[in-house]
Amino acid sequence: MTATHKSVGSVSLVVLGGKPTSSMGMSQISNDDFALALKGSIEKSGIFSRVASEPDSHYRLQAYIGKLDQPVFAMASTVTMEVGYTLTDLRSKETMWKKSIASTYTAELKEAYIGVTRLRLANEGAARENVRLVLEEISALSLP
Amino acid sequence: MKGRFLAVVVVCAALAGCASMQANKAPDADLGKLRNLYVAKLSADERGIEELISNRLNAMGYHVTTGAYPTFPMEVDAVVTYQDRWLWDITMYMTRLSIQIRDGHNGEIIANGESMRTSWQRRSPERVVEEVLTEILKQ
Repeated sequence: MTATHKSVGSVSLVVLGGKPTSSMGMSQISNDDFALALKGSIEKSGIFSRVASEPDSHYRLQAYIGKLDQPVFAMASTVTMEVGYTLTDLRSKETMWKKSIASTYTAELKEAYIGVTRLRLANEGAARENVRLVLEEISALSLP
Repeated sequence: MKGRFLAVVVVCAALAGCASMQANKAPDADLGKLRNLYVAKLSADERGIEELISNRLNAMGYHVTTGAYPTFPMEVDAVVTYQDRWLWDITMYMTRLSIQIRDGHNGEIIANGESMRTSWQRRSPERVVEEVLTEILKQ
Protein backbone atom coordinates (compact mmCIF):
# COMPACT_ATOMS: atom_id res chain seq x y z
CA MET A 1 0.00 0.00 0.00
CA THR A 2 1.27 3.48 -0.84
CA ALA A 3 0.37 6.11 1.72
CA THR A 4 -1.56 9.09 0.40
CA HIS A 5 -0.45 11.14 3.39
CA LYS A 6 2.66 10.62 5.51
CA SER A 7 3.10 11.87 9.06
CA VAL A 8 6.43 13.18 10.29
CA GLY A 9 5.63 11.69 13.71
CA SER A 10 6.63 8.27 15.01
CA VAL A 11 4.18 5.69 16.33
CA SER A 12 4.24 3.04 19.03
CA LEU A 13 2.06 -0.05 18.86
CA VAL A 14 -0.02 -1.74 21.54
CA VAL A 15 -1.91 -4.90 20.65
CA LEU A 16 -4.39 -6.55 23.02
CA GLY A 17 -6.95 -9.34 22.89
CA GLY A 18 -4.92 -11.76 20.78
CA LYS A 19 -4.40 -15.37 21.73
CA PRO A 20 -1.54 -17.77 21.20
CA THR A 21 -2.38 -20.97 19.32
CA SER A 22 -4.52 -23.04 21.69
CA SER A 23 -3.81 -26.35 23.36
CA MET A 24 -6.45 -27.79 21.02
CA GLY A 25 -4.11 -26.95 18.16
CA MET A 26 -6.39 -24.34 16.58
CA SER A 27 -4.36 -21.61 14.92
CA GLN A 28 -4.87 -18.18 16.50
CA ILE A 29 -3.42 -14.69 16.18
CA SER A 30 -1.22 -13.60 19.06
CA ASN A 31 -0.61 -10.01 20.15
CA ASP A 32 3.05 -10.26 19.19
CA ASP A 33 2.33 -11.63 15.72
CA PHE A 34 -0.27 -8.98 14.96
CA ALA A 35 2.03 -6.23 16.27
CA LEU A 36 4.77 -7.54 14.00
CA ALA A 37 2.41 -7.48 10.99
CA LEU A 38 1.34 -3.92 11.82
CA LYS A 39 4.93 -2.80 12.30
CA GLY A 40 6.08 -4.29 9.02
CA SER A 41 3.23 -2.73 7.05
CA ILE A 42 3.61 0.69 8.69
CA GLU A 43 7.32 0.73 7.93
CA LYS A 44 6.73 -0.37 4.37
CA SER A 45 3.99 2.21 3.77
CA GLY A 46 5.80 5.14 5.35
CA ILE A 47 2.60 6.45 6.96
CA PHE A 48 4.62 7.34 10.06
CA SER A 49 8.26 8.34 10.17
CA ARG A 50 9.09 5.17 12.14
CA VAL A 51 7.75 2.67 14.64
CA ALA A 52 9.19 3.55 18.05
CA SER A 53 8.71 2.67 21.69
CA GLU A 54 6.99 4.87 24.24
CA PRO A 55 7.71 7.48 25.53
CA ASP A 56 9.74 8.41 22.44
CA SER A 57 6.83 8.10 20.02
CA HIS A 58 4.52 10.90 18.93
CA TYR A 59 1.48 8.67 18.46
CA ARG A 60 0.22 5.42 19.93
CA LEU A 61 -1.81 3.01 17.80
CA GLN A 62 -3.72 0.61 20.03
CA ALA A 63 -5.34 -2.44 18.46
CA TYR A 64 -7.83 -4.53 20.42
CA ILE A 65 -8.58 -7.85 18.71
CA GLY A 66 -12.20 -8.28 19.74
CA LYS A 67 -13.24 -11.10 17.45
CA LEU A 68 -11.63 -13.90 15.49
CA ASP A 69 -14.41 -16.07 14.12
CA GLN A 70 -13.08 -19.32 12.71
CA PRO A 71 -14.72 -22.46 11.36
CA VAL A 72 -14.29 -25.70 13.28
CA PHE A 73 -14.00 -27.70 10.10
CA ALA A 74 -14.61 -26.52 6.57
CA MET A 75 -13.45 -27.26 3.05
CA ALA A 76 -13.08 -23.52 2.56
CA SER A 77 -11.97 -21.83 5.78
CA THR A 78 -13.42 -18.37 6.24
CA VAL A 79 -12.06 -16.30 9.10
CA THR A 80 -13.61 -13.01 10.18
CA MET A 81 -11.56 -10.67 12.31
CA GLU A 82 -12.67 -7.50 14.06
CA VAL A 83 -10.18 -5.10 15.58
CA GLY A 84 -10.89 -1.88 17.50
CA TYR A 85 -8.21 0.71 16.78
CA THR A 86 -7.45 3.86 18.77
CA LEU A 87 -4.86 6.38 17.62
CA THR A 88 -3.72 8.73 20.39
CA ASP A 89 -1.48 11.78 20.23
CA LEU A 90 0.81 11.09 23.20
CA ARG A 91 1.80 14.72 23.62
CA SER A 92 -1.71 16.16 23.88
CA LYS A 93 -3.21 12.83 25.13
CA GLU A 94 -5.96 13.42 22.59
CA THR A 95 -7.67 10.55 20.78
CA MET A 96 -7.08 11.39 17.13
CA TRP A 97 -9.10 8.56 15.64
CA LYS A 98 -11.04 5.51 16.79
CA LYS A 99 -12.66 2.84 14.66
CA SER A 100 -13.53 -0.82 14.59
CA ILE A 101 -12.44 -2.58 11.41
CA ALA A 102 -13.70 -5.98 10.26
CA SER A 103 -11.98 -8.13 7.67
CA THR A 104 -12.63 -11.55 6.18
CA TYR A 105 -10.51 -14.03 4.28
CA THR A 106 -11.40 -17.39 2.81
CA ALA A 107 -8.68 -19.97 2.28
CA GLU A 108 -9.82 -22.45 -0.35
CA LEU A 109 -9.09 -26.17 -0.38
CA LYS A 110 -6.69 -25.69 -3.29
CA GLU A 111 -4.55 -23.37 -1.13
CA ALA A 112 -3.91 -26.09 1.44
CA TYR A 113 -5.26 -29.62 1.71
CA ILE A 114 -4.49 -29.83 5.42
CA GLY A 115 -7.19 -28.16 7.51
CA VAL A 116 -4.83 -26.70 10.12
CA THR A 117 -2.73 -25.08 7.40
CA ARG A 118 -5.86 -23.77 5.67
CA LEU A 119 -7.02 -22.18 8.91
CA ARG A 120 -3.62 -20.58 9.45
CA LEU A 121 -3.74 -19.16 5.92
CA ALA A 122 -7.23 -17.80 6.55
CA ASN A 123 -6.05 -16.19 9.82
CA GLU A 124 -3.11 -14.61 8.05
CA GLY A 125 -5.31 -13.40 5.20
CA ALA A 126 -7.85 -11.80 7.56
CA ALA A 127 -5.06 -10.14 9.55
CA ARG A 128 -3.33 -8.89 6.41
CA GLU A 129 -6.59 -7.41 5.11
CA ASN A 130 -7.30 -5.77 8.48
CA VAL A 131 -3.86 -4.15 8.51
CA ARG A 132 -4.36 -2.95 4.94
CA LEU A 133 -7.71 -1.38 5.83
CA VAL A 134 -6.45 0.37 8.96
CA LEU A 135 -3.46 1.86 7.15
CA GLU A 136 -5.77 3.06 4.40
CA GLU A 137 -7.94 4.82 7.01
CA ILE A 138 -5.00 6.34 8.90
CA SER A 139 -3.43 7.46 5.67
CA ALA A 140 -6.53 9.54 4.92
CA LEU A 141 -6.34 11.37 8.28
CA SER A 142 -3.64 13.84 7.18
CA LEU A 143 -1.83 13.68 10.52
CA PRO A 144 0.90 16.25 11.15
CA MET B 1 -1.24 -50.18 40.93
CA LYS B 2 1.22 -47.29 40.80
CA GLY B 3 1.35 -47.58 36.99
CA ARG B 4 -2.46 -47.50 36.73
CA PHE B 5 -2.65 -44.40 38.92
CA LEU B 6 -0.01 -42.70 36.77
CA ALA B 7 -1.97 -43.57 33.63
CA VAL B 8 -5.14 -42.01 35.11
CA VAL B 9 -3.20 -38.85 36.03
CA VAL B 10 -1.74 -38.61 32.50
CA VAL B 11 -5.17 -39.06 30.86
CA CYS B 12 -6.77 -36.47 33.18
CA ALA B 13 -3.95 -34.00 32.46
CA ALA B 14 -4.33 -34.53 28.72
CA LEU B 15 -8.09 -33.96 28.87
CA ALA B 16 -7.72 -30.90 31.08
CA GLY B 17 -5.46 -29.38 28.45
CA CYS B 18 -8.13 -29.77 25.80
CA ALA B 19 -10.59 -27.21 27.13
CA SER B 20 -9.95 -23.52 27.13
CA MET B 21 -11.78 -20.50 28.45
CA GLN B 22 -10.56 -17.00 27.78
CA ALA B 23 -11.99 -13.52 28.21
CA ASN B 24 -10.59 -10.04 27.88
CA LYS B 25 -11.75 -6.46 27.60
CA ALA B 26 -10.64 -3.28 25.88
CA PRO B 27 -8.48 -1.15 28.21
CA ASP B 28 -10.98 1.72 28.44
CA ALA B 29 -14.08 -0.49 28.87
CA ASP B 30 -16.05 -0.23 32.11
CA LEU B 31 -18.23 -3.33 32.25
CA GLY B 32 -19.46 -2.42 35.73
CA LYS B 33 -21.60 0.38 34.25
CA LEU B 34 -23.64 -1.94 32.05
CA ARG B 35 -27.34 -2.31 32.94
CA ASN B 36 -29.41 -2.49 29.76
CA LEU B 37 -28.29 -5.08 27.25
CA TYR B 38 -29.56 -6.19 23.85
CA VAL B 39 -28.78 -9.71 22.66
CA ALA B 40 -28.54 -9.83 18.87
CA LYS B 41 -29.77 -13.13 17.50
CA LEU B 42 -27.41 -14.74 15.04
CA SER B 43 -29.46 -15.24 11.89
CA ALA B 44 -28.14 -18.80 11.44
CA ASP B 45 -28.91 -19.78 15.04
CA GLU B 46 -31.60 -22.45 15.11
CA ARG B 47 -30.75 -23.65 18.62
CA GLY B 48 -31.96 -20.61 20.53
CA ILE B 49 -28.56 -19.65 21.94
CA GLU B 50 -29.68 -16.01 22.13
CA GLU B 51 -32.40 -17.11 24.54
CA LEU B 52 -29.87 -18.94 26.74
CA ILE B 53 -27.67 -15.82 26.78
CA SER B 54 -30.64 -13.60 27.51
CA ASN B 55 -31.87 -15.86 30.33
CA ARG B 56 -28.43 -16.00 31.90
CA LEU B 57 -27.96 -12.23 31.73
CA ASN B 58 -31.39 -11.76 33.30
CA ALA B 59 -30.37 -14.09 36.11
CA MET B 60 -27.21 -12.01 36.56
CA GLY B 61 -29.38 -8.93 37.14
CA TYR B 62 -29.24 -7.18 33.75
CA HIS B 63 -32.23 -5.81 31.90
CA VAL B 64 -32.20 -7.66 28.59
CA THR B 65 -34.00 -7.36 25.28
CA THR B 66 -33.38 -9.49 22.19
CA GLY B 67 -33.81 -9.17 18.45
CA ALA B 68 -32.05 -9.20 15.11
CA TYR B 69 -28.61 -7.69 14.59
CA PRO B 70 -29.25 -3.98 15.15
CA THR B 71 -28.33 -0.75 13.46
CA PHE B 72 -26.21 1.43 15.70
CA PRO B 73 -26.59 3.63 17.70
CA MET B 74 -28.86 1.67 20.06
CA GLU B 75 -30.66 2.92 23.15
CA VAL B 76 -28.88 0.34 25.32
CA ASP B 77 -25.58 0.21 27.18
CA ALA B 78 -24.29 -2.74 25.21
CA VAL B 79 -25.16 -5.21 22.48
CA VAL B 80 -24.24 -8.87 22.92
CA THR B 81 -23.27 -10.89 19.83
CA TYR B 82 -22.11 -14.49 19.63
CA GLN B 83 -20.95 -17.34 17.40
CA ASP B 84 -21.57 -20.98 18.33
CA ARG B 85 -19.81 -23.93 16.70
CA TRP B 86 -20.96 -27.52 16.98
CA LEU B 87 -19.46 -30.92 16.22
CA TRP B 88 -20.86 -34.40 16.10
CA ASP B 89 -19.59 -37.24 18.28
CA ILE B 90 -22.40 -39.73 18.94
CA THR B 91 -24.53 -36.62 19.49
CA MET B 92 -24.03 -32.97 18.61
CA TYR B 93 -22.19 -30.87 21.17
CA MET B 94 -21.13 -27.25 21.40
CA THR B 95 -17.40 -27.20 20.79
CA ARG B 96 -16.96 -23.44 20.82
CA LEU B 97 -18.89 -20.40 21.95
CA SER B 98 -17.61 -16.87 21.41
CA ILE B 99 -19.44 -13.91 22.89
CA GLN B 100 -18.73 -10.24 22.24
CA ILE B 101 -19.98 -7.28 24.26
CA ARG B 102 -20.33 -4.25 21.98
CA ASP B 103 -20.73 -0.59 22.80
CA GLY B 104 -24.42 0.22 22.38
CA HIS B 105 -23.59 3.53 20.75
CA ASN B 106 -21.19 2.52 17.99
CA GLY B 107 -21.05 -1.29 17.97
CA GLU B 108 -17.34 -1.49 18.82
CA ILE B 109 -16.33 -4.59 20.75
CA ILE B 110 -15.46 -3.69 24.35
CA ALA B 111 -15.07 -7.22 25.74
CA ASN B 112 -15.18 -10.79 24.56
CA GLY B 113 -14.92 -14.33 25.81
CA GLU B 114 -14.59 -17.77 24.31
CA SER B 115 -14.97 -21.34 25.50
CA MET B 116 -13.59 -24.30 23.57
CA ARG B 117 -14.32 -27.90 24.52
CA THR B 118 -13.67 -31.32 23.09
CA SER B 119 -16.27 -34.05 23.03
CA TRP B 120 -14.76 -35.52 26.21
CA GLN B 121 -15.30 -32.25 28.01
CA ARG B 122 -18.67 -31.38 26.60
CA ARG B 123 -21.10 -29.40 28.70
CA SER B 124 -24.67 -28.35 28.11
CA PRO B 125 -25.07 -25.11 26.12
CA GLU B 126 -26.57 -23.52 29.27
CA ARG B 127 -23.39 -24.28 31.24
CA VAL B 128 -21.14 -23.02 28.45
CA VAL B 129 -23.13 -19.78 28.15
CA GLU B 130 -22.91 -19.35 31.93
CA GLU B 131 -19.15 -19.89 32.07
CA VAL B 132 -18.41 -17.52 29.18
CA LEU B 133 -20.65 -14.71 30.47
CA THR B 134 -19.32 -15.07 34.01
CA GLU B 135 -15.74 -14.92 32.76
CA ILE B 136 -16.40 -11.82 30.63
CA LEU B 137 -18.44 -9.85 33.15
CA LYS B 138 -16.27 -10.48 36.18
CA GLN B 139 -13.53 -8.34 34.59
